[in-house]
Amino acid sequence: MEELIKIIKSNHSLSQEAEDYLYSISTKKSFAKGEVLIRQGQQVQNVYFVTDGCLRSYCYDKNGKEHTLQFAIKNWWISDYIAIHSDESATLTVECLKESEVVKFNAKALEKMYTLFPEYEPFQRKISERHVVSLNKRILNQLQLTATERYTLFITQYPEIEQYTHNYHIASYLGITQESLSRIRVENAKH
Amino acid sequence: MKALQIVKYGEIKDSLAFNEVSKPAVQATDVLIEVRAAAINPIDKSIVLGNLQGLLPIPFPSTSAYDVSGIVVKKGDDVSNFEIGDLVYSRVPQEQMGTLAEYVAVTSEAVSKKPGNISFEEAAGIPLAGLTALQSLEFAGIKANDRILIHAGSGGVGSLAIQYAKAKGAYVYTTTSTGNVEWVKELGADRVIDYKTEDYKTIVKDADIVYDTLGQEYTSEAFQVVKQGGQVISVVGPLDEDTAKMFGMEDYQLPEELATLSDDKEASYKFIFMHPNGSQLAEIKTMVEDEKIKPIIDTIYPFTESIAAFTHLETGRAKGKIIIKIN
Repeated sequence: MEELIKIIKSNHSLSQEAEDYLYSISTKKSFAKGEVLIRQGQQVQNVYFVTDGCLRSYCYDKNGKEHTLQFAIKNWWISDYIAIHSDESATLTVECLKESEVVKFNAKALEKMYTLFPEYEPFQRKISERHVVSLNKRILNQLQLTATERYTLFITQYPEIEQYTHNYHIASYLGITQESLSRIRVENAKH
Repeated sequence: MKALQIVKYGEIKDSLAFNEVSKPAVQATDVLIEVRAAAINPIDKSIVLGNLQGLLPIPFPSTSAYDVSGIVVKKGDDVSNFEIGDLVYSRVPQEQMGTLAEYVAVTSEAVSKKPGNISFEEAAGIPLAGLTALQSLEFAGIKANDRILIHAGSGGVGSLAIQYAKAKGAYVYTTTSTGNVEWVKELGADRVIDYKTEDYKTIVKDADIVYDTLGQEYTSEAFQVVKQGGQVISVVGPLDEDTAKMFGMEDYQLPEELATLSDDKEASYKFIFMHPNGSQLAEIKTMVEDEKIKPIIDTIYPFTESIAAFTHLETGRAKGKIIIKIN
């Protein structure tokens, strides 16, 4: 939690009351590898700020195959925002790919933060904008780049994630088959 | 719910029928699985034909089949390792047989989450064959550089056994027919023997392990190619004496021919009777997700054509698994 406060304070002002409120609506939690924080089909009440570890959100298609939507490492947020914003049950599952530590926030209480402490809103708005930018980039990369380029970009941007994942986590994130990913890796190793 | 049931022993067409039955009761240690796919195996056919009525007698009518993948929709009070909504696969125990139905209740000990990188249909084809291969080769203590002969590399058990043995670093010989040579090679076998044009007995010498998935003369021939002090593991040959005792056959003795061959070679003979095991299915799940094992599917039939699937199984010519999509 200290890290999050530090990040907020690096660019935004935060009153002691606002800081106290953030502490009051959050809980520090540790999870083992494989533990599930949000399960597809269940109600979603929380969002998570990652202080250590690596998590993944994914969904199942009708054939039972998993598709990774997002990875989250230190200082990233993760939840099922579709469920939170549409007040529906989860379409995603969020699981830990390694032992992880997170700060859990009740999503409704965090929402209340904006009205109680308007100075917090610019920080949250920046996070949301960054999230939109990253999703836009992901869609554009999907449309414009080859599978090899997408993989190369992924391991350049997030070199640490690969060590915690199975091939199919990354393959489904990049929208390619496991066989293609293995082939790309072999090709990359030659260069 | 709809279920494909065995109504009597006999020919496939006369002995299987679709019936409307009630959903299975869920005991404290059970999960109720909404079935998405089931697989049929040679044992399912043998049960219908009545060939196993001494060993595995069933009441009539009984819902058929053991392999399943699907979604947990209900769980008993004592189940802590699964949640509603989990995607799972299982080889259900004998007393819970009946995966060719819309729902099946299974003790949670026999269940594992399914591999995330494959479909329900692919996952349904793994449990029985995968557990058979794993338990057989684990019993043999297979390790890197062991030389193993796996018969019928294109079969359900053979195709998974090849991949498991390769994952353990063994050198794998396998037998198959001409049409299957190429794809069986792709499973990783080091030497694929086309039994139509080659005599495996002249190629395989002093194997550490012979894995017999064919029975009959292949069981005794195994002792010609196994090394002195090696192991013959069978899933179709005669029972060994310890396994027979497990079934209450106290006075059973290994057929004399096999006993002599085994003594002469100082090679052990073991019959593996596969048992359901959720933890081992979880091991296989990881191997599938790590791409060390991939399931091989011959045909996927819709539920309504399950009887045709059994007829296909009866031909013994399937390359990989015969799957039935339930839902």
